[in-house]
Amino acid sequence: MLRLALQTARRRVAALVAVACAMFGGAALVTGIGVIAESGLRSQMPVERLARADVVVSAPQSHQPPEDLPIGLPERNRLPVELTERLAGVPDVTAVIGDVSFPAAVLSAQGTPVTASGHGWSATRLADEPGVTGQPPTRPDELAVDAGTAAAAGVQAGDRVNAVVAGRTAQFRVTAVVTSPEPGLYFADDTAIQFTERRVDFIAIQAAPGRTDNVATAVREALGDNDLVVSTGADRGDVESPGAAAARSFLPALAGSMAGVTLLIIGFIVAGALSVSIAGQRRDLALLRAVGASPKQIRGLAAGQATLMAAPALVLGAGAGYLLADLFRGMLVGLGFLPAGLPLTVSPFPAVAALLLLLLVVQAAARGSAWRTSRLPATEAVSESRVEPRTPSKTRTYAGVLLIVAANVIAVIPLVSQTSLGANTTAIAGILATVGLGLCGPAMVRWVSSVLAAKLPARVSAPTWLAVANTNGYAMRVAGAVTTLAMAVVFTLTYTLTQTTLITAIDRDVEATGKAELHVTAPATGGLPQDALDAITTTPGVKAAAPVSTTTVLWPGSVFGQIQVESSSALILTPAAANVLDLDVRSGDLNDLTGATVAVSGDADLGSEVGFHLGDGTFVKAKVVATYGRGLGIGEVVVSRDLAIGHTTSGLDQRILIRTDDPGTVRASLASNPVLVVGEGSGLATGTGIPPELWINIVVLGVLLGYLLLGIANKLVASTAQRRAELANLRLIGATARQLRRMMRREASVICGIALVTGLVLAAVPIVLLSLGLLGQPWPAGPVWLLPLVMGVVVVIAFAAIELPTWQALRPPPVDARNHQS
Amino acid sequence: MTRPHHALRTGPFETVPTAAVTLAEVSKIYPGGVRALDGVSLTVDRGRFVAVMGPSGSGKSTLMHCASGLDTPTSGKVFIDGTEISSLTENRRTELRRRNVGFVFQSYNLVPSLTIADNITLPLRLAGAAADQEWMRTLAGRVGLTDRLSHRPAELSGGQQQRAAIARALIARPAVLFADEPTGALDLRTGRNVLDLLRELVNELGQTVVMVTHDPAAAAHADLVLIMADGHIVDTLTGASPTTLAHRIATVEAE
Repeated sequence: MLRLALQTARRRVAALVAVACAMFGGAALVTGIGVIAESGLRSQMPVERLARADVVVSAPQSHQPPEDLPIGLPERNRLPVELTERLAGVPDVTAVIGDVSFPAAVLSAQGTPVTASGHGWSATRLADEPGVTGQPPTRPDELAVDAGTAAAAGVQAGDRVNAVVAGRTAQFRVTAVVTSPEPGLYFADDTAIQFTERRVDFIAIQAAPGRTDNVATAVREALGDNDLVVSTGADRGDVESPGAAAARSFLPALAGSMAGVTLLIIGFIVAGALSVSIAGQRRDLALLRAVGASPKQIRGLAAGQATLMAAPALVLGAGAGYLLADLFRGMLVGLGFLPAGLPLTVSPFPAVAALLLLLLVVQAAARGSAWRTSRLPATEAVSESRVEPRTPSKTRTYAGVLLIVAANVIAVIPLVSQTSLGANTTAIAGILATVGLGLCGPAMVRWVSSVLAAKLPARVSAPTWLAVANTNGYAMRVAGAVTTLAMAVVFTLTYTLTQTTLITAIDRDVEATGKAELHVTAPATGGLPQDALDAITTTPGVKAAAPVSTTTVLWPGSVFGQIQVESSSALILTPAAANVLDLDVRSGDLNDLTGATVAVSGDADLGSEVGFHLGDGTFVKAKVVATYGRGLGIGEVVVSRDLAIGHTTSGLDQRILIRTDDPGTVRASLASNPVLVVGEGSGLATGTGIPPELWINIVVLGVLLGYLLLGIANKLVASTAQRRAELANLRLIGATARQLRRMMRREASVICGIALVTGLVLAAVPIVLLSLGLLGQPWPAGPVWLLPLVMGVVVVIAFAAIELPTWQALRPPPVDARNHQS
Repeated sequence: MTRPHHALRTGPFETVPTAAVTLAEVSKIYPGGVRALDGVSLTVDRGRFVAVMGPSGSGKSTLMHCASGLDTPTSGKVFIDGTEISSLTENRRTELRRRNVGFVFQSYNLVPSLTIADNITLPLRLAGAAADQEWMRTLAGRVGLTDRLSHRPAELSGGQQQRAAIARALIARPAVLFADEPTGALDLRTGRNVLDLLRELVNELGQTVVMVTHDPAAAAHADLVLIMADGHIVDTLTGASPTTLAHRIATVEAE
């Protein structure tokens, strides 16, 4: 029986192509997202500096919230240096190196900084075969420098040189030039440890040949039940670069945020393609019903056949998913979201998950499409199979209306929660509303076409008259086309305008926050030297100056009533910040940002205490001293510098904002210090250029839109191709090919018209709510050409996808069609 | 009932301007060399009811397609109501069919999205003419569907749908009505009603009808019965009973 159904399916090439494309694209997208998510959980940074360390001990570099995925900590969580002595006595250990890294730069004769990372001398033993020219540094005012940096700064062994080390400028004697793979300044181990407050980044252990595993076990025992991490092999890569490893942990969240919209659209397209394919076979299924197949068998047959048709495309699509994920990784690296070295994890798991998920969708969609035919009494099934179901069921219509209402309720979220998380519900709401339209569409099309029919003048041309009659009589088929086109409109508008509106809102917030005329950074020295703030404050013309840095904190947020720890970006400020930033303080005072204090966005009780983790994982309790209104632009929380100090990797201020009436003079005065880089304004704004997040969303939009439009075109072509018999019949009655083409064009116009209007209406509510929430105005921010472009594309696709198969269907003389028909 | 002997002439080409349909030496060869019609000539006079019988593959359907202008012959000429049609373009032939030819098919071929009234007047609309409501009501009354005009085809029985199709075929007052197995999908009793209706249309309105059928009982309603085999008209029978026809067909099939 299955073979029979497959043979009948072979005749419906257009429908088959539609199903295959939907499956291929769906499998590729789901697998791709799966690979991204899995890489975020399992991929590891390559081992570089630690190549010659067999065992590495480090402090935990991630926070494990209860019942949730671990969150990577971007700031280095350090260890007390005393641990190195305890590990030196472990058997088979040949060397124990407490490694530190800190920002450092040597200054050339002209004072130009040359960036290099600061380390202890023993770190040179981690590199492969270091070539050393000179003596190791032993005194606090000695250092060794790598060959590349030495050349760039114009120094050699024996020279005296100025260097900015961990924010302090001092003179050093160069004792050696070493070859190392990356720029580095090497200090006596005891000196190096002072720059990081006698704490080491990690402890690298070299073991006797072949004893790595024994040493790792012994080290674990020696450490006791400390929750320190002992790594060997590939695990060492993550220890090397905690920032990169933390960046990786954003991948599952990114995949999660893409998955919602993507799965909805895939479900929509797959179900649409299958319903067209099965509608074309309704007569075959009804005949099978008449010869004794039970309703359950019919549904099983439809599902089994759909699965067989889908399987090859699914398998190919899953394979393409891995390529897609790699392209996406390349894009993330290009945008600076991911470290270039991070590889993708390639395992069969995402493909298997995608296949299972899509097969489930296929089964459900096929059974759903065959539901009505399968349940009719056998005789009625045959007679009804010639005509589509006449009246759309009331349940279906009400379910659709309910879904649209529910979608609009969800769309209220951005009005209540003005965050990027809240803004993302807008696109979901729009798409859900379109699915609702799919359900109540037939009833709506029926109503619209009745109104049209009533308004039609008596002497209207036959093609127009037929087109209106068909729209009314085939409301189900028309609604299918309308819904898919409306989906394109709704998806493009809500998704794009959500991004542009959010960006505009953030920009406005950030712009309103920054009051400074100038800002100063020092990228070459890895942060501002410690004397920079005093120097700037005392510069003539400076009215006020305050340091502004960003870090990441793990902040307990309430998501749907549940307290959930989220990684969130936070500003580090001093009381002086009130002079250079306008945070729209609602209560309290930024002047109180001293000691263990925070300011938070939105509502909070002043004086209450909050507990949270700093960027290196340290749990702290802090008093709320102020609340502010610009949470969208600057983040949920501001941490006092007193509290954050010692919990960031560099330990230095990242930026100093300056208020002045005379920027020119201040600029000129500061120009004498080559370490400092002075810029206009606060430099906080994302304003110039498109921010990377938007690029990701635009790429996701592009891929999904391509998939959606292909799906729509396929569906329209397939459903038009299935009207061959209907068109042939009209020709036998006396319609010319020209009349029928005109009829089809009129139908396309009606379909486009309804789709554009409903699409605009369904998209309008979520977008207006979003705009009110974020911008305080009913219209969104975004390109003006978006709407006409979307409408143009929808019209072109609808007409092309209907016109081409119509020509094809009308090519053979009517008598041929009659021969095939019987 | 007396039947004029000259109602049907087969043989050498003759121009008869008054004839509803004339075929002159018509041959139809399909790609692959199948000779479905082999030099067939015939004239159907106005007001006659002609049945075409023959086993499967005898060429009776091809004869109907060529005679009605649905298809063009490979050679020979076809006149419908005096117009030579085999040289016309597809569009011109469509227009001519719309005006001069009515069709009734086994599968009714009503448009499901239109009411019965709209189905009946559809050929007029397609021709760009005003729907002649009075003639439509007359026809509907004649086929017994006056109370069904606002229904859709799916709400009607098979016999009712076929009667609606007959009314539609007559709306443009065609020179000839072609019926292809009009009772093929109907039960015996309903089929008999449809045949009686066709007979009455011939008798009362002088409608010319050409019917293709394999059913001897159906063919017996006609004035004349042509028997086809291998692309030729092998026999013509007048006033034959179903039994005679069944016997004759059995002989042809056995040859």
